[in-house]
Amino acid sequence: MASYTQRKLVDRIVTGLCICAALLAIIPLGSVLFYVTKQGIGAVNWDFFTKLPKPVGETGGGMAHAIVGTLTILGIACLIGVPTGILGGIYLAEFGGTRFSKIVRFSADVLTGVPSIVIGIFVYVIIVVPTKQFSAMAGGVALAILMLPTVVRTTDELLRLVPDALREGALALGVPKWRATVSIVLRTAAPGIATGVMLAVARVAGETAPLLFTAFGNLGWSDGIGSPTASLPVQIFNYSVSPYADWHRQAWAAALVLVALVLFFNLLARLLVRDRSPAR
Amino acid sequence: MISLLRVSSVVLGCAIGSAMLSLAGCSKKDDSSSTTTTGTTTSGGTVSLNGAGATFPNPLYTKWISDYSALPAGHGVKVNYQSVGSGGGIKAISDQTVDFGATDAPLTDEEAGKAPGKLLHIPTTLGAVVLTYNLDGIKTGLKLSPEVLAGIFLGDIKSWDDPKIKADNAALPLPKKSISIVHRTDGSGTTEVFTQYLAQVSPDWKTKVGAGKSVKWPTGNGAKGNEGVTGNVTNTPGSIGYVELAYAAQNNLAVAYLKNHAGKFVSPTLDAISAAAAAMGDKVPDDLRMSILDPDGDASYPISSFTYVLLYAEQKDAAKGGALVSFLWWGIHDGQKAAPGLHYAPLPAAIVTRDEAKLKSITSGGKAVLAAP
Repeated sequence: MASYTQRKLVDRIVTGLCICAALLAIIPLGSVLFYVTKQGIGAVNWDFFTKLPKPVGETGGGMAHAIVGTLTILGIACLIGVPTGILGGIYLAEFGGTRFSKIVRFSADVLTGVPSIVIGIFVYVIIVVPTKQFSAMAGGVALAILMLPTVVRTTDELLRLVPDALREGALALGVPKWRATVSIVLRTAAPGIATGVMLAVARVAGETAPLLFTAFGNLGWSDGIGSPTASLPVQIFNYSVSPYADWHRQAWAAALVLVALVLFFNLLARLLVRDRSPAR
Repeated sequence: MISLLRVSSVVLGCAIGSAMLSLAGCSKKDDSSSTTTTGTTTSGGTVSLNGAGATFPNPLYTKWISDYSALPAGHGVKVNYQSVGSGGGIKAISDQTVDFGATDAPLTDEEAGKAPGKLLHIPTTLGAVVLTYNLDGIKTGLKLSPEVLAGIFLGDIKSWDDPKIKADNAALPLPKKSISIVHRTDGSGTTEVFTQYLAQVSPDWKTKVGAGKSVKWPTGNGAKGNEGVTGNVTNTPGSIGYVELAYAAQNNLAVAYLKNHAGKFVSPTLDAISAAAAAMGDKVPDDLRMSILDPDGDASYPISSFTYVLLYAEQKDAAKGGALVSFLWWGIHDGQKAAPGLHYAPLPAAIVTRDEAKLKSITSGGKAVLAAP
């Protein structure tokens, strides 16, 4: 039997290693944030948020259209993907257990692994080609499909973590099952589900490949959600492969804005959920 | 649940807000344009034209679109170009999801056959693939013959002080250093033009490697995109790679002189590229699909190429077709003035004349769409 001091020593060493590992995990995030900020902050100014891009050779200009476009496309993606995903997750966790639900769960897992560009081409074929029109709507659908498995699976997992005692308690009081699900189970799991939704949004917010052939892109303001629409990732992609230093600066600035946007939505979701949720 | 609702309502609010913003943005445009619409468009409202394709001409087309929108002729016409790559552009115009496509290499007969109508090629500007290198003390003046170039990229010539290189560069202090080759890993039109040239001048290259958007390189390191090759060459002493002219010019890279068909060493200047196009003379084919690799003429740069806009000979919508053709007409004339500043070579007069004839031939419902220019 090891002595008390020996055990204490081992404890210290292991704790130290854990802290090191945690720091190591933060380093990539920290350095990405630091580098993007360092490179991008110089080109972020008021014009960047309010003006349209200028062609090569003329300095100034901004990406107002791409910022609005990204928000529009993400909004459409959320409108389609979040309700579908959460309802799907509820089905799997609360009403599942059948052979069908196993298939659904398996499909969601497979869908997670499908490369995003494949989704882009799929949406191109089913929406863009028949309508003969690239659109924000098509981009939103592509991103919604990408969000779907994440939302379904997190909702599913989190609902299954809710103790059965809560369900039984509600049912014992004579509450119908749908009511127990909505008011008790879903409400208990809400913070986790919100985090899952935000993760899904953050994952798709930076996608370029599925947008190239759906939302396409636009040099100016979009004519509406039925027309080609600019987005930050596509803009970053186009500008970063160009030979011009000025476009590179704009691309860095766009990257910074995109990261900030995702971070902002994340914090907002966390704040809203923390204030309201009974289960802290 | 309430909190979840709140989260989604915030997201929804943002979406609706931004959608309204974008609507406001375009309706404002509508107002300003409808009052100043000129005779170029037959309809009263705004005409939106979408194009997709090659990355190479993107900066020039963006400049054209911006300049054109400031002109009286451009009021009420909204042109949008997205650089999704030549392959993407060909697919989009074949699917009719865009009004015009753009490609660096002309369509093959097979590609042209997939389109539901007859596609016309309109050469819009010229570019070149240049050889950039990193050698201490040799910022300029390196001369390469086609045989030496193929030898280097085949891996037969391994050192900078190889007698074959020295033969053309007696005056240069070539170091005893091994040659490190940088090529593209991603499929690209630049690689296609470069390997086509090598296949044309070197039978060895043609049989061993061949030509295409991506090939099986016998030797060297890969890098992604023009910017990747640029970075790799800049950081590796003793390296050589190929990039588009604009990248070399923007980054002040050292570029090699190449020996052309007439046996002269030529540096990749815009004049030398235009000269390569002009050297085609009356050999320009009817459909304007042509290669100007290794052309005749003392002043011609050997690895030059056209880039094309693709559009249907028969336009479905007369208003759109008219606006598109007017825009391209402006591009091949006044638009050429913007080319040199962005490192594109202007079209020679002979090609502009051929383009004019093509644009005049475009119809909609049997009637020519081009208003008298």
